[in-house]
Amino acid sequence: MIPILGLAVGVVLGLVLHPTVPLVLQPYLPIAVVAALDAVFGGARARLDGVFDAKVFVISFVSNVVVAALIVFLGDQLGVGAQLSTAVVVVLGIRIFGNAAAIRRHVFRA
Amino acid sequence: MGASLLDQVLAETLDPAYLQAAEARAERERAAVAAGEPPEPAARARRRRLGGQVLVAVVLALAGLLVAVTYRQASAGSQGRAQVREALVKDIDREQHTTDGLAARLDTLRATVDRTRDAALRATGAGQAALDQLAGAEQGAAAVAVTGPGLRVTLADAPSGADADPVGTRPTAPSGSAVRDSDLQLVVNALWAAGAEAISVDGQRLGPTSTIRTAGEAILVDFQPVTSPYQVDAIGSADTLSQRFLADPEVQALAVVTQSYGLRFDFAKEGHLALPAAAPAELHSARPLPARPAPAGTAGPTTSPGG
Repeated sequence: MIPILGLAVGVVLGLVLHPTVPLVLQPYLPIAVVAALDAVFGGARARLDGVFDAKVFVISFVSNVVVAALIVFLGDQLGVGAQLSTAVVVVLGIRIFGNAAAIRRHVFRA
Repeated sequence: MGASLLDQVLAETLDPAYLQAAEARAERERAAVAAGEPPEPAARARRRRLGGQVLVAVVLALAGLLVAVTYRQASAGSQGRAQVREALVKDIDREQHTTDGLAARLDTLRATVDRTRDAALRATGAGQAALDQLAGAEQGAAAVAVTGPGLRVTLADAPSGADADPVGTRPTAPSGSAVRDSDLQLVVNALWAAGAEAISVDGQRLGPTSTIRTAGEAILVDFQPVTSPYQVDAIGSADTLSQRFLADPEVQALAVVTQSYGLRFDFAKEGHLALPAAAPAELHSARPLPARPAPAGTAGPTTSPGG
């Protein structure tokens, strides 16, 4: 229950306070969101599988976001930023889909 | 390890760290039971679970913040673009309005100047002679609107879709089936040669220094864009004009070309054509009337570089 509350509080804070993000970081926001979604879906599935672990979740979330942004940053420096963004989105997208399917099996038993 | 990276990505959607952590936890508990340690006090276990939950909540709050900020950023971006576009359109409208107003004012002022000049010149014999001379020059310079019988030649691009690629994204017709500036030049020159006294293209009167040329995809007549169908009006004796125009070998060649490319090229004799005046040329220099001393107040030895 507390984690769900945390999510809601985060969304409301973001919408109400609308903090300004440094211009340098702005290009990496969308990819960071996709990475965060992957970690959240992974955590939800782990919980339903009964193997959830808070430490693993926190570490996977932070590292996911940082690594995804870092990969895209590196790609930008090398001139293949768009392609690497696509690669990151494809890989994370597949994982999100897989985890969403597993969650669906847990919830609907189908 | 899977056969390939993709296989691995597809097969392993859950972070393996979760399973490892769960196994390690089970292992620890088994070891604790085997070592005969007393089970963890319930209060401590609860506190630890609560701490984990709070940690997860903080991270989820971070995730929500991230999503909200990104959403705001994206929506603000598109909103800003729409606003900027709207403002630009408004600017264009306003400036066009200003230009129209200035052009109308220019026309009235020009008419006033002409009237005043005519009145001043008509007072003297020399002025009257100059006025007659001026009238002839204005006719030649296309500075006055004219009406009369004549010939109307229409050129038009081939209808799109005749042999356009339906899949292609190019909206323009292939270069072979569009009227070019050289075609218009040819028609205009042939009309002059056939004895036309005045010519306009799409309502743009041609003066002595008019140009017909291509800029990008559009044809410009005196820097004003004209579009297909191009209507070339020529004033003169309709019969003579059409006879001489059709006898022109260049025109005959153009007729063949337009037919094979599907362009429209036709002409009609018109009993009454009205051609507007051309944009007057800028006044670059002026000098006083020669011979007899002119009365005060007419033309002075002034020069106006004009813009």
